[in-house]
Amino acid sequence: MKLGVLYSGGKDSTLALMKAKEHHEICCLISIVSENKESYMFHTPNIDVTLLQSQAMEIPLVRVVTKGEKEKELDDLKKAILEAKQRYQIEGIVTGAVRSTYQASRVQRICYELELWCFNPLWLKNQVELLYEILEKGIHAIISGVFAEPLDKTYLGAEINKTMIEKLSKIASTHHISPAGEGGEIETTVLDAPVFMKKINTTKSEIKWNDNYNGTFAIHDAELIAK
Amino acid sequence: MILIISTCREELSDSEFVRPLAILIEDHNIIHYTRVRPADIAAAKKIIISGTALKDFEYLKHDFSWLLKTNKPVLGICAGMQIIAKAFGIPLEDHTTIGPQKVEVVTENKLAEGNFNAYFLHTKTGTGNFQTLAVSNGKPCMIKHPLSEIYGCIFHPEVMNEEIIRKFTE
Repeated sequence: MKLGVLYSGGKDSTLALMKAKEHHEICCLISIVSENKESYMFHTPNIDVTLLQSQAMEIPLVRVVTKGEKEKELDDLKKAILEAKQRYQIEGIVTGAVRSTYQASRVQRICYELELWCFNPLWLKNQVELLYEILEKGIHAIISGVFAEPLDKTYLGAEINKTMIEKLSKIASTHHISPAGEGGEIETTVLDAPVFMKKINTTKSEIKWNDNYNGTFAIHDAELIAK
Repeated sequence: MILIISTCREELSDSEFVRPLAILIEDHNIIHYTRVRPADIAAAKKIIISGTALKDFEYLKHDFSWLLKTNKPVLGICAGMQIIAKAFGIPLEDHTTIGPQKVEVVTENKLAEGNFNAYFLHTKTGTGNFQTLAVSNGKPCMIKHPLSEIYGCIFHPEVMNEEIIRKFTE
Protein backbone atom coordinates (compact mmCIF):
# COMPACT_ATOMS: atom_id res chain seq x y z
CA MET A 1 0.00 0.00 0.00
CA LYS A 2 1.25 3.53 -0.79
CA LEU A 3 1.30 5.58 2.42
CA GLY A 4 2.00 9.15 3.56
CA VAL A 5 3.41 9.80 7.03
CA LEU A 6 2.13 12.68 9.15
CA TYR A 7 5.62 13.83 10.07
CA SER A 8 6.63 16.28 12.80
CA GLY A 9 10.33 15.41 12.70
CA GLY A 10 10.25 13.99 16.23
CA LYS A 11 10.98 10.53 17.62
CA ASP A 12 7.40 9.18 17.46
CA SER A 13 6.63 10.00 13.85
CA THR A 14 10.08 8.68 12.84
CA LEU A 15 9.51 5.38 14.67
CA ALA A 16 6.00 5.10 13.19
CA LEU A 17 7.48 5.70 9.71
CA MET A 18 10.08 2.96 10.23
CA LYS A 19 7.44 0.47 11.38
CA ALA A 20 5.18 1.30 8.42
CA LYS A 21 8.11 0.95 6.01
CA GLU A 22 8.51 -2.70 7.05
CA HIS A 23 5.15 -3.46 5.40
CA HIS A 24 4.35 -0.66 2.95
CA GLU A 25 5.79 1.93 0.57
CA ILE A 26 6.26 5.40 2.09
CA CYS A 27 5.56 7.86 -0.72
CA CYS A 28 5.62 11.19 1.11
CA LEU A 29 5.90 13.00 4.42
CA ILE A 30 3.21 15.48 5.43
CA SER A 31 4.18 18.32 7.78
CA ILE A 32 1.94 21.01 9.19
CA VAL A 33 3.71 24.20 10.25
CA SER A 34 1.57 25.93 12.87
CA GLU A 35 2.03 29.63 13.58
CA ASN A 36 0.16 29.16 16.87
CA LYS A 37 2.43 28.09 19.72
CA GLU A 38 -0.60 26.86 21.67
CA SER A 39 -1.84 24.50 18.94
CA TYR A 40 -3.04 21.17 20.40
CA MET A 41 -2.45 19.45 17.10
CA PHE A 42 0.71 20.69 15.50
CA HIS A 43 3.02 22.96 17.44
CA THR A 44 6.51 21.49 17.25
CA PRO A 45 9.82 23.30 17.74
CA ASN A 46 12.12 22.93 14.72
CA ILE A 47 9.35 21.87 12.35
CA ASP A 48 11.48 23.43 9.57
CA VAL A 49 14.01 20.66 10.08
CA THR A 50 11.52 18.36 8.29
CA LEU A 51 12.82 19.93 5.04
CA LEU A 52 16.26 18.43 5.74
CA GLN A 53 14.82 15.18 7.14
CA SER A 54 12.84 14.75 3.93
CA GLN A 55 16.05 15.14 1.89
CA ALA A 56 17.93 12.82 4.25
CA MET A 57 15.29 10.11 3.76
CA GLU A 58 14.86 10.89 0.05
CA ILE A 59 11.10 11.00 0.60
CA PRO A 60 9.21 14.04 -0.74
CA LEU A 61 7.58 16.45 1.71
CA VAL A 62 4.11 17.99 1.53
CA ARG A 63 4.32 21.05 3.75
CA VAL A 64 1.40 23.26 4.68
CA VAL A 65 1.46 26.35 6.90
CA THR A 66 -1.54 26.93 9.19
CA LYS A 67 -2.43 29.87 11.40
CA GLY A 68 -3.28 27.20 13.98
CA GLU A 69 -6.77 28.41 14.88
CA LYS A 70 -8.60 25.61 16.70
CA GLU A 71 -10.57 23.34 14.35
CA LYS A 72 -9.64 25.55 11.33
CA GLU A 73 -6.17 24.01 11.46
CA LEU A 74 -7.91 20.70 10.81
CA ASP A 75 -9.12 22.06 7.48
CA ASP A 76 -5.48 22.82 6.66
CA LEU A 77 -4.48 19.29 7.69
CA LYS A 78 -7.21 17.89 5.47
CA LYS A 79 -5.99 20.02 2.56
CA ALA A 80 -2.43 18.77 3.09
CA ILE A 81 -3.54 15.12 3.19
CA LEU A 82 -5.72 15.63 0.11
CA GLU A 83 -2.77 17.19 -1.71
CA ALA A 84 -0.63 14.16 -0.73
CA LYS A 85 -3.37 11.82 -1.97
CA GLN A 86 -3.65 13.60 -5.32
CA ARG A 87 0.07 14.12 -5.86
CA TYR A 88 1.40 10.74 -4.66
CA GLN A 89 -1.69 8.48 -4.97
CA ILE A 90 -1.39 7.45 -1.33
CA GLU A 91 -3.99 5.01 0.00
CA GLY A 92 -3.39 5.67 3.68
CA ILE A 93 -1.83 7.79 6.41
CA VAL A 94 0.57 6.83 9.21
CA THR A 95 0.73 8.81 12.46
CA GLY A 96 2.91 8.63 15.57
CA ALA A 97 -0.11 9.03 17.89
CA VAL A 98 0.39 7.21 21.20
CA ARG A 99 -2.30 8.25 23.64
CA SER A 100 -4.11 11.41 22.54
CA THR A 101 -7.69 10.55 21.56
CA TYR A 102 -8.10 14.25 20.64
CA GLN A 103 -5.44 14.07 17.91
CA ALA A 104 -6.08 10.48 16.86
CA SER A 105 -9.82 10.86 16.37
CA ARG A 106 -9.40 14.01 14.28
CA VAL A 107 -6.92 12.32 11.94
CA GLN A 108 -9.16 9.23 11.80
CA ARG A 109 -12.12 11.43 10.78
CA ILE A 110 -10.13 13.17 8.02
CA CYS A 111 -8.94 9.80 6.68
CA TYR A 112 -12.53 8.53 6.75
CA GLU A 113 -13.74 11.58 4.81
CA LEU A 114 -10.93 11.23 2.26
CA GLU A 115 -11.39 7.44 2.00
CA LEU A 116 -7.88 6.68 3.26
CA TRP A 117 -6.56 4.00 5.59
CA CYS A 118 -5.24 5.27 8.91
CA PHE A 119 -2.41 3.52 10.75
CA ASN A 120 -1.24 4.36 14.28
CA PRO A 121 1.47 1.74 14.97
CA LEU A 122 2.47 3.23 18.35
CA TRP A 123 -1.11 3.46 19.69
CA LEU A 124 -1.32 2.83 23.48
CA LYS A 125 2.29 1.70 23.62
CA ASN A 126 3.98 1.83 27.03
CA GLN A 127 5.92 5.09 27.05
CA VAL A 128 9.15 3.81 28.61
CA GLU A 129 9.17 0.83 26.21
CA LEU A 130 8.63 3.33 23.41
CA LEU A 131 11.73 5.29 24.44
CA TYR A 132 13.84 2.12 24.57
CA GLU A 133 12.53 1.07 21.14
CA ILE A 134 13.69 4.45 19.78
CA LEU A 135 17.21 3.54 20.95
CA GLU A 136 17.03 -0.07 19.75
CA LYS A 137 15.93 1.07 16.29
CA GLY A 138 18.93 3.42 16.07
CA ILE A 139 16.98 6.69 16.09
CA HIS A 140 19.15 9.59 17.22
CA ALA A 141 16.83 12.18 18.76
CA ILE A 142 17.51 15.26 20.85
CA ILE A 143 15.17 17.11 23.20
CA SER A 144 14.11 20.26 21.37
CA GLY A 145 11.51 21.53 23.84
CA VAL A 146 10.51 21.11 27.49
CA PHE A 147 7.17 22.29 28.82
CA ALA A 148 6.65 20.83 32.31
CA GLU A 149 8.04 20.88 35.83
CA PRO A 150 10.76 19.82 36.77
CA LEU A 151 12.32 19.80 33.28
CA ASP A 152 14.89 22.57 33.05
CA LYS A 153 17.36 24.12 30.64
CA THR A 154 19.85 21.23 31.02
CA TYR A 155 17.53 18.93 29.06
CA LEU A 156 17.46 21.15 25.98
CA GLY A 157 19.57 19.76 23.15
CA ALA A 158 20.32 16.62 25.16
CA GLU A 159 20.31 13.27 23.43
CA ILE A 160 17.69 10.59 24.18
CA ASN A 161 19.99 7.84 25.44
CA LYS A 162 19.80 5.19 28.17
CA THR A 163 20.77 7.63 30.93
CA MET A 164 18.16 10.14 29.74
CA ILE A 165 15.44 7.45 29.60
CA GLU A 166 16.25 6.42 33.19
CA LYS A 167 16.12 10.08 34.23
CA LEU A 168 12.79 10.71 32.47
CA SER A 169 11.28 7.51 33.91
CA LYS A 170 12.28 8.59 37.42
CA ILE A 171 10.79 12.07 36.96
CA ALA A 172 7.61 10.58 35.49
CA SER A 173 7.03 8.58 38.65
CA THR A 174 7.48 11.58 40.96
CA HIS A 175 5.91 14.40 38.92
CA HIS A 176 3.03 12.74 37.03
CA ILE A 177 4.41 13.56 33.61
CA SER A 178 4.54 11.26 30.64
CA PRO A 179 8.13 9.96 30.22
CA ALA A 180 7.90 10.03 26.43
CA GLY A 181 6.31 13.48 26.43
CA GLU A 182 2.95 12.29 25.11
CA GLY A 183 1.23 15.02 27.11
CA GLY A 184 3.36 17.66 25.36
CA GLU A 185 5.92 17.80 28.21
CA ILE A 186 8.81 17.10 25.83
CA GLU A 187 9.32 17.63 22.12
CA THR A 188 12.13 15.97 20.19
CA THR A 189 13.94 16.39 16.88
CA VAL A 190 15.50 13.44 15.04
CA LEU A 191 18.96 14.09 13.61
CA ASP A 192 19.69 10.59 12.34
CA ALA A 193 17.99 7.22 11.88
CA PRO A 194 18.61 4.07 9.81
CA VAL A 195 16.15 5.42 7.20
CA PHE A 196 18.29 8.57 6.77
CA MET A 197 20.82 8.33 3.91
CA LYS A 198 22.67 11.31 5.43
CA LYS A 199 22.57 12.72 8.95
CA ILE A 200 21.76 16.22 10.15
CA ASN A 201 24.55 18.36 11.56
CA THR A 202 23.38 21.40 13.54
CA THR A 203 25.59 24.40 12.76
CA LYS A 204 23.69 27.16 14.61
CA SER A 205 21.35 26.69 17.53
CA GLU A 206 19.98 28.65 20.44
CA ILE A 207 18.50 27.74 23.80
CA LYS A 208 15.42 29.89 24.43
CA TRP A 209 14.40 29.71 28.08
CA ASN A 210 11.12 31.27 29.16
CA ASP A 211 11.21 30.30 32.86
CA ASN A 212 8.35 28.36 34.38
CA TYR A 213 9.80 25.07 33.06
CA ASN A 214 9.33 26.11 29.46
CA GLY A 215 12.04 26.37 26.81
CA THR A 216 13.19 25.27 23.38
CA PHE A 217 16.38 24.24 21.62
CA ALA A 218 15.95 26.14 18.37
CA ILE A 219 17.92 24.93 15.35
CA HIS A 220 18.64 28.00 13.20
CA ASP A 221 21.02 26.40 10.72
CA ALA A 222 21.77 22.79 9.88
CA GLU A 223 23.20 20.74 7.04
CA LEU A 224 23.22 17.17 5.79
CA ILE A 225 26.52 15.34 6.15
CA ALA A 226 27.70 11.86 5.18
CA LYS A 227 27.15 9.12 7.75
CA MET B 1 -5.70 -18.83 28.32
CA ILE B 2 -7.60 -16.04 26.57
CA LEU B 3 -7.71 -16.37 22.79
CA ILE B 4 -7.39 -13.00 21.06
CA ILE B 5 -8.60 -13.23 17.47
CA SER B 6 -7.13 -10.55 15.23
CA THR B 7 -9.48 -9.20 12.57
CA CYS B 8 -6.82 -7.01 10.91
CA ARG B 9 -6.27 -7.41 7.16
CA GLU B 10 -3.07 -5.39 7.43
CA GLU B 11 -0.33 -6.56 9.82
CA LEU B 12 0.46 -2.90 10.60
CA SER B 13 -3.01 -2.56 12.20
CA ASP B 14 -2.25 -5.33 14.71
CA SER B 15 -0.07 -2.97 16.74
CA GLU B 16 -3.04 -0.59 17.02
CA PHE B 17 -5.94 -2.97 17.66
CA VAL B 18 -4.47 -6.26 18.95
CA ARG B 19 -1.29 -5.39 20.90
CA PRO B 20 -3.17 -3.03 23.28
CA LEU B 21 -5.45 -5.96 24.22
CA ALA B 22 -2.52 -8.34 24.66
CA ILE B 23 -0.84 -5.88 27.05
CA LEU B 24 -3.87 -6.12 29.35
CA ILE B 25 -4.07 -9.92 29.35
CA GLU B 26 -1.21 -11.87 30.87
CA ASP B 27 -2.15 -15.34 29.60
CA HIS B 28 -3.17 -14.96 25.96
CA ASN B 29 -2.76 -16.44 22.51
CA ILE B 30 -3.13 -14.28 19.39
CA ILE B 31 -4.40 -15.89 16.18
CA HIS B 32 -5.59 -14.24 12.96
CA TYR B 33 -9.24 -15.04 12.14
CA THR B 34 -8.29 -16.85 8.94
CA ARG B 35 -6.11 -19.31 10.91
CA VAL B 36 -8.38 -20.14 13.88
CA ARG B 37 -8.92 -23.93 14.17
CA PRO B 38 -11.55 -25.73 16.33
CA ALA B 39 -8.69 -26.83 18.61
CA ASP B 40 -7.79 -23.17 19.28
CA ILE B 41 -11.37 -22.44 20.36
CA ALA B 42 -11.42 -25.58 22.52
CA ALA B 43 -8.16 -24.62 24.23
CA ALA B 44 -9.35 -21.11 25.14
CA LYS B 45 -10.99 -20.19 28.44
CA LYS B 46 -12.54 -17.10 26.88
CA ILE B 47 -12.30 -15.39 23.49
CA ILE B 48 -11.88 -11.75 22.46
CA ILE B 49 -12.39 -10.74 18.83
CA SER B 50 -10.47 -7.51 18.13
CA GLY B 51 -11.34 -4.40 16.18
CA THR B 52 -9.49 -3.26 13.09
CA ALA B 53 -8.93 -0.20 10.90
CA LEU B 54 -11.97 1.86 9.91
CA LYS B 55 -11.43 1.07 6.23
CA ASP B 56 -11.04 -2.68 6.76
CA PHE B 57 -14.09 -4.88 6.05
CA GLU B 58 -12.32 -8.04 4.87
CA TYR B 59 -13.43 -9.96 8.00
CA LEU B 60 -17.10 -9.67 6.95
CA LYS B 61 -16.42 -12.09 4.06
CA HIS B 62 -15.35 -14.86 6.48
CA ASP B 63 -17.45 -17.65 8.00
CA PHE B 64 -17.67 -17.28 11.79
CA SER B 65 -20.46 -19.85 12.28
CA TRP B 66 -18.44 -21.47 15.11
CA LEU B 67 -19.86 -18.60 17.22
CA LEU B 68 -23.31 -20.22 17.03
CA LYS B 69 -22.01 -23.43 18.60
CA THR B 70 -19.42 -22.29 21.13
CA ASN B 71 -20.05 -22.39 24.86
CA LYS B 72 -17.02 -20.16 25.55
CA PRO B 73 -17.57 -16.57 26.69
CA VAL B 74 -16.85 -14.20 23.79
CA LEU B 75 -16.29 -10.44 23.69
CA GLY B 76 -16.41 -8.87 20.24
CA ILE B 77 -14.94 -5.38 20.01
CA CYS B 78 -16.05 -3.12 17.15
CA ALA B 79 -15.33 -5.33 14.10
CA GLY B 80 -15.68 -8.21 16.58
CA MET B 81 -19.19 -7.06 17.46
CA GLN B 82 -20.07 -6.77 13.76
CA ILE B 83 -18.83 -10.34 13.28
CA ILE B 84 -21.04 -11.59 16.14
CA ALA B 85 -24.03 -9.71 14.70
CA LYS B 86 -23.47 -11.18 11.24
CA ALA B 87 -22.99 -14.72 12.60
CA PHE B 88 -26.35 -14.49 14.38
CA GLY B 89 -28.10 -13.15 11.28
CA ILE B 90 -28.39 -9.57 12.50
CA PRO B 91 -28.17 -7.09 9.63
CA LEU B 92 -25.47 -4.40 9.85
CA GLU B 93 -26.46 -0.80 9.30
CA ASP B 94 -24.27 2.17 8.37
CA HIS B 95 -23.61 4.25 11.46
CA THR B 96 -20.41 6.22 11.99
CA THR B 97 -18.96 7.41 15.29
CA ILE B 98 -15.35 8.54 15.64
CA GLY B 99 -13.81 9.73 18.92
CA PRO B 100 -14.77 9.82 22.61
CA GLN B 101 -18.51 9.72 23.46
CA LYS B 102 -20.61 9.35 26.60
CA VAL B 103 -21.91 5.86 27.40
CA GLU B 104 -24.79 5.02 29.72
CA VAL B 105 -25.25 1.50 31.10
CA VAL B 106 -28.96 0.65 30.95
CA THR B 107 -28.94 -3.02 32.00
CA GLU B 108 -27.03 -4.38 34.96
CA ASN B 109 -24.23 -6.59 33.71
CA LYS B 110 -20.84 -8.09 34.60
CA LEU B 111 -18.69 -5.82 32.46
CA ALA B 112 -19.70 -2.19 33.05
CA GLU B 113 -21.77 0.06 35.25
CA GLY B 114 -22.84 3.72 35.46
CA ASN B 115 -21.90 6.40 32.95
CA PHE B 116 -18.48 6.80 31.36
CA ASN B 117 -16.66 8.09 28.29
CA ALA B 118 -15.49 5.61 25.68
CA TYR B 119 -13.54 5.74 22.41
CA PHE B 120 -15.54 4.96 19.27
CA LEU B 121 -14.20 4.14 15.82
CA HIS B 122 -16.76 2.44 13.60
CA THR B 123 -18.90 2.90 10.50
CA LYS B 124 -21.26 -0.08 10.91
CA THR B 125 -23.24 -1.59 13.75
CA GLY B 126 -25.96 -4.17 14.34
CA THR B 127 -27.74 -5.23 17.51
CA GLY B 128 -30.88 -7.17 16.50
CA ASN B 129 -32.49 -9.18 19.28
CA PHE B 130 -29.44 -9.06 21.54
CA GLN B 131 -29.93 -7.50 24.96
CA THR B 132 -28.88 -3.81 25.12
CA LEU B 133 -26.45 -3.33 28.03
CA ALA B 134 -25.38 0.27 27.29
CA VAL B 135 -26.28 3.10 24.94
CA SER B 136 -24.48 6.11 23.49
CA ASN B 137 -26.47 8.97 21.96
CA GLY B 138 -29.54 6.74 22.28
CA LYS B 139 -28.00 3.92 20.23
CA PRO B 140 -27.03 0.49 21.67
CA CYS B 141 -23.24 0.27 22.03
CA MET B 142 -22.85 -2.78 24.33
CA ILE B 143 -24.96 -5.86 23.74
CA LYS B 144 -25.26 -9.43 25.03
CA HIS B 145 -26.72 -12.61 23.60
CA PRO B 146 -30.04 -13.26 25.42
CA LEU B 147 -28.87 -16.67 26.71
CA SER B 148 -25.11 -17.11 26.38
CA GLU B 149 -22.03 -15.15 27.48
CA ILE B 150 -21.50 -13.54 24.10
CA TYR B 151 -20.92 -9.81 24.33
CA GLY B 152 -20.53 -7.11 21.71
CA CYS B 153 -18.96 -3.73 22.35
CA ILE B 154 -18.94 -1.30 19.43
CA PHE B 155 -16.53 1.10 21.20
CA HIS B 156 -12.91 0.24 22.01
CA PRO B 157 -12.66 -0.49 25.76
CA GLU B 158 -8.88 -0.96 25.54
CA VAL B 159 -8.50 2.80 24.96
CA MET B 160 -10.45 4.39 27.84
CA ASN B 161 -12.15 1.52 29.70
CA GLU B 162 -9.57 -1.17 30.42
CA GLU B 163 -11.69 -2.42 33.35
CA ILE B 164 -14.20 -3.87 30.85
CA ILE B 165 -11.44 -6.11 29.44
CA ARG B 166 -10.30 -7.02 32.97
CA LYS B 167 -13.82 -7.91 34.13
CA PHE B 168 -14.41 -10.04 31.03
CA THR B 169 -11.15 -11.94 31.40
CA GLU B 170 -11.41 -12.46 35.20
